Amino acid sequence: MATTISLRIEFGGGLELLFSNERRHTITIPSVVPSDNNTKPPLDPSSNEVETKLADVEYLIYHLRDHLLQERAELFMENNTVRPGILVLINDTDWELEGEGEYVLKDNDEIVFISTLHGG
Amino acid sequence: MFANQVGQNTTNPSLCIKCKVNTGRIVVRHAVYCKECFPALLGSKVKRSLDSHINTKSETSRKKSLKASGNLLIGFSGGLGSTVLLDLISKIYLSSRTEIESEGNKQRGGKDHPRNEPVWKEASVCYVEISAGFPGMKDRTDKIRLLVEEKYPALQLIPLRLENAFDRTWWDKVGRNVTSDATADVTSEDLFLSTISDDFTPDPIHKLRTYISALPTHTAIASATRILTRLLLLHTARFTQSSHLLLGTSLTSLSITLISSISQGGGFSVREEAQEEWNPGSSGAIRLVRPLQEITMKECSMWAWWNDLQVIGKEAYPGSKLGIGALTKDFIVGLERDYPSTVSTIARTCAKLAPKVSAGGICVLCERPLQPGVQEWKSRISIRATTESPVDPPSLLQSLTPYLCYSCHTTLTSRSSKAVSNSASTSLPLPMWTSAHLLDYSSSTTDSIDVEIQEDVKEAGADVWLTRKVGADEMKKATGDFLLE
Repeated sequence: MATTISLRIEFGGGLELLFSNERRHTITIPSVVPSDNNTKPPLDPSSNEVETKLADVEYLIYHLRDHLLQERAELFMENNTVRPGILVLINDTDWELEGEGEYVLKDNDEIVFISTLHGG
Repeated sequence: MFANQVGQNTTNPSLCIKCKVNTGRIVVRHAVYCKECFPALLGSKVKRSLDSHINTKSETSRKKSLKASGNLLIGFSGGLGSTVLLDLISKIYLSSRTEIESEGNKQRGGKDHPRNEPVWKEASVCYVEISAGFPGMKDRTDKIRLLVEEKYPALQLIPLRLENAFDRTWWDKVGRNVTSDATADVTSEDLFLSTISDDFTPDPIHKLRTYISALPTHTAIASATRILTRLLLLHTARFTQSSHLLLGTSLTSLSITLISSISQGGGFSVREEAQEEWNPGSSGAIRLVRPLQEITMKECSMWAWWNDLQVIGKEAYPGSKLGIGALTKDFIVGLERDYPSTVSTIARTCAKLAPKVSAGGICVLCERPLQPGVQEWKSRISIRATTESPVDPPSLLQSLTPYLCYSCHTTLTSRSSKAVSNSASTSLPLPMWTSAHLLDYSSSTTDSIDVEIQEDVKEAGADVWLTRKVGADEMKKATGDFLLE
């Protein structure tokens, strides 16, 4: 199994303003990640003490907050998930049909985050 | 919610509930739809909300074609709801006209067939720019104009500005009766009126800013902006001879507005939040319809995404996140995620509500139904003044309070412990339509009503009470004999 996976990320509905005003991003994340969603690399990579899981959307949200978000994290995340009013699409499908945060990411998946609160 | 919990298909929960063939792509209140069935879902919801309001009389025969008595005006803010509304209305109701124009006479049934007649003769889009009221905000009229011209060339854009509400030139242009500018004193619950002489009339932007700075709370500012925008749109609809004004209020936005409006004392006009018929008097009634009122914000967002619609968005003005409306929005949006059906329950429940008594006229500020006797009730249940207000010159004509609905009166007078206004302004300039209504009242209605009431009271052998504002000296003189030295 590859140690990293590549993902296409897109922001819409004004959410891109929090991410350097760039709508499209391509990121690479580890395929196996800490279960506590810690996105900082461990000091000792050989250490087996950290519990791990396959990279899922929940981890991706933490990753985006810690590595891509430029400002105002409270507008993106709330209570360990995306803020209410943000629609998440996994490969153009509502994430509610894919298991929401528990969806295990695959190489070349496209994840879209759209804010529904940009006016209306 | 997980894949095995959603959907009503017992065999395969991820199959579209409608075609039962394609894999579902969106979950709408526990029901799964595919990308192909989704447009039909939204189309049917829009038609269900709008069709029954198009013809002047609701038809008993479903076969009768749709024909409005006037033109169409679509309110456009650049936000998600109005962007989706503009797209859906132009696709469902206006596209056939564009096709007819471009394809000649190829339409089914011939060019004179009623089916091929446009529902509205002409359609326009109206945008109200609010930036002048809030220093530092960007004017987005050009952005809006570009979008409408590029995407909807058949529609005419009418750009308005929030300050038009205080602009006599605009008022003359929309063809209303000439009026003089009036102001109300916000330091008193009675909102005593005075008129501004024609020699000294500040410019509309100055009046708008004075109006906003004289409002007591962030909630009042948000509410006033909504009222001014709505009335500007309605008067423009009348000017464009429109029979219908459409707004892009989604189900989520409607639920937010309903709860927020009721919490601000707007319970009497709860029905008007969903759909209203505005009667400007001289011409026919204009129907304000919200065709997206069965469509959630999530569906709007998905439609905009799949159709590659550009959502310009609404810029927040300073303090806009602090009012009751913004707090209600946070609450309802959170509720919609955790309990998707509850939001529609709010709208459905409110649709069953109706006031117990009929309206006693219309509010001069928001032009919505006025609940009779509300001020008497309010005077019994609330403390009317906490500080002594300055004595006004005897030239004051009358009080604005009796002509305001409970909600508007509360908006103008209810102060919070955290005062928002740092301005010393106590004089509230009134919108043109309010001044016009007051002029009408003072010239005819009130005098006759007062006389009638006084005569009734005399007949009943009761005392005639007259409410007027008195100065401290006069009060002392009247009560002096009863005071202990």
